[in-house]
Amino acid sequence: MADPFDIFVLVKQVPDQGSKAGLNPDGTIDRAKAKRMLNPFDRYALQAALHTKKTYGGRVTAISMGPPPAVEVLMEALEHGVDRGVLLSDRRLAASDTLATAYALCKTVQWVGRFDIIFCGLQTTDGDTAQVGPQLAERLGLPQITYCQDFKIDDHRVHAERIIEGGYQKLDSELPVLVTVANSYHPLEYKSFRGAWRVQQLLRNEVEQKKYIQTVDLDVIGADPDRCGLKGSPTIVAATEKVGEIGGNCTMHEGHTASVLVEELLGCSNLKEFVKA
Amino acid sequence: MSARIEYDLMLVGGSPSNLTLAYHFLELAKDSGKDFTIAVLEKGPEFGSHVMSGAVSNPHVLQKVWPNYKELGFPVEAVCDDSNFSILGVKEKWDMARWMYPPSLDKTGYLVLTLSYCTAWMARQVQEKAKEVPNVAVDMYTGFSAHKVIFEEGRVVGVAVAENPRSEEDYVYARLTAFGDKGFISRDVIDYYKLRNCPQIWSVGVKEVWQCQQSYAGKVWHTLGWPLLEGTFGGGFVYGMKDNKLTIGMVISLDSQDPNMNPQLKLQEYKKHPWIQSMIQGGKLLKYGAALLPEGGYYCLPKRFAVPGALLLGDALGVLDVKRLAGIDRAMECGYVAAEVMFDALCKGDLGEEALAPYQQRLTDSFVVKEAYQDRYFRWAFMENHRLLGDYLPVVAGGVDSGHPLLGMIKVGLKNPFRAAGDGIRALQLIEGKKDIGPIKYEPDFKSIVPAFVPPKYEEPPFDKNTIYSRPDAVFFASTKYHEGNKHIDEFNADVCVKCIAEYEKLGKTTPCVADCTAEVHRIDIIGDLKKHGMSLENCIHCRTCEVVCPQVNLRVKPTEQGSGPDFMGL
Repeated sequence: MADPFDIFVLVKQVPDQGSKAGLNPDGTIDRAKAKRMLNPFDRYALQAALHTKKTYGGRVTAISMGPPPAVEVLMEALEHGVDRGVLLSDRRLAASDTLATAYALCKTVQWVGRFDIIFCGLQTTDGDTAQVGPQLAERLGLPQITYCQDFKIDDHRVHAERIIEGGYQKLDSELPVLVTVANSYHPLEYKSFRGAWRVQQLLRNEVEQKKYIQTVDLDVIGADPDRCGLKGSPTIVAATEKVGEIGGNCTMHEGHTASVLVEELLGCSNLKEFVKA
Repeated sequence: MSARIEYDLMLVGGSPSNLTLAYHFLELAKDSGKDFTIAVLEKGPEFGSHVMSGAVSNPHVLQKVWPNYKELGFPVEAVCDDSNFSILGVKEKWDMARWMYPPSLDKTGYLVLTLSYCTAWMARQVQEKAKEVPNVAVDMYTGFSAHKVIFEEGRVVGVAVAENPRSEEDYVYARLTAFGDKGFISRDVIDYYKLRNCPQIWSVGVKEVWQCQQSYAGKVWHTLGWPLLEGTFGGGFVYGMKDNKLTIGMVISLDSQDPNMNPQLKLQEYKKHPWIQSMIQGGKLLKYGAALLPEGGYYCLPKRFAVPGALLLGDALGVLDVKRLAGIDRAMECGYVAAEVMFDALCKGDLGEEALAPYQQRLTDSFVVKEAYQDRYFRWAFMENHRLLGDYLPVVAGGVDSGHPLLGMIKVGLKNPFRAAGDGIRALQLIEGKKDIGPIKYEPDFKSIVPAFVPPKYEEPPFDKNTIYSRPDAVFFASTKYHEGNKHIDEFNADVCVKCIAEYEKLGKTTPCVADCTAEVHRIDIIGDLKKHGMSLENCIHCRTCEVVCPQVNLRVKPTEQGSGPDFMGL
């Protein structure tokens, strides 16, 4: 093998699914109030990146875009074994849609430098569009493998399995390539204590921290502010609607024979309406 | 291979005791000019997320550690200004006059707390303080628990931070270790050094927090009677908090004779009482949780509080006082004293057992052990004489229902004047610690189970169905979250379980683990002709009741990995 791989992984901080996120009056998510977490889909991308590093050698750069607290997900990535992080943070990016986001990320990736493979999550749990990965590939002029559930790298080519309805496709692509990782790929391994330990050392030492996590803004990466944020976003949120709260009212019926169970189920609530004699 | 990770001080468990220790240690070390490293291990995903308590607490130790706690934004839910001790009948409630109950149950002026928030606050204080003290490096690890204690030459030297450690990467070492956990790991230390003369006895606390339509802030009730009218030791508590929130809970001893004593169900029965119904109707359940309390008190304290290389704090030590319903201040005092002892030992470079011995001495001279000594027979008074709770209390509760609580008391006296008077006098003497009957030894809780026990039936008053939750529903309000492949409860021998299930089935009952579980974990699987014990571990809220009540000692609850478990934030 020639050079070690340069692996990029894109991660995003999203509101914690477990906590209740509020909405701003304009219908966008109030990110300041909500508890935050690493986008669950990105965990598979992170695992793919770390697996590539472990198997084929190389170094992993995690890239994120978001308000300053988003540095937390880069820290988390470092705990898992990522080598460095880059955060694009700029007020002018607020309210970006997928078009503006892909543009900003494209500029960031180009600024960071050479890469062989970029891993993205399938989608995020806050926007749920699944558009940013493919758009980024287009902007970078890269081949893309979406819904990837497994892959091998061999002689500078990626051999991947891509999920389709009722089975999977086998794809073959040359490097560099952008891969969005499906959640049927291996789940992210838990962080090691050594990784957590290293991040604890970093947290105390700001000078050292800057070596591992860089924060950049639009001017640094040379992006056009008019193509970012609300200005660069043709998407308009017309309206949002609250659909009420979920909450269980569940009862357990178990440990009986099938016939007793059926009787019992019929006896409760208004199930009978749905059963035809 | 990289060098092993070693700290000067390792605190196992993100508990109030350990966080007090860390904070006070920082204060001590600030001007010492010496360098120290501290690690805090917390098994929850954040500090406070696995901590649950009542709680109404005396702020005296808090005041000592954080004199300006009010300005620092310590999360106080209310200051108690109306403290009551009540007896519940099935329908009525009787608030006893102040002179009729011991002064220790008067909580006026104490703080009503949400301990999970307090723990999170303490963790933040430690982090803030650490910024002012550059010579001490404090590393706070969440999502890592101690799975195994490492002993070297009879000394505690570290812990494994993975269930199945694969390499040196999965161990953390320390010159001194403080165990402030709830017993998940400190029991190994106690076993290793054979520190127990008397097995610890436990009770389980179950608690719900409600959003009500009106405010009860500052009101505190402790109750006896309904729904524990079958002789089980325990009681209920209701604390009013700010923002119209209300804590409703029960503490129930696990030495119940009833093999099918379901704490969560008991709490629902408690909530069916018209007095509680009047408060929660139209309200909303916010949170549910359960936790064990070490109840043994003075005679269950380990022989030594310090072992080579380590100290035991708070619940690991078992300093909770059931009579005074106080534990938090005691745990914090342990942390406060431990900080000074450990600081001295590290400064002198003397880490021998003698250097840690002042810890036990100082706690023994403090209110922590002194008051535990006064209350040493409290639990025993009810244990040795089952008539107190089994026979007399139901009669008094009946009196409360008929509107004449005092008449109920007189009735008790008339039934058998000599015995009742004798029982009463002896119980009072024991409770107040005035009579000395020498050291006592408890039996493990499960030995009290009477498999054929039939609890008395009472007609329930009418209640609002929307205020009552089934056990699976309750789990939803404990917000459990587990990683894939989690296996944190060990079942040692499946055949033992099969026999146990058959035995209880003959009596028309289910096993204690299935019945007493607070979170729908244990179940009976029917596979062909065989009835086997199964577990839905994803429901577990880490209370450890099953381990304590298993009549065959066939279960062991271990700390979880990867920050899995319930989310008690708000309890």
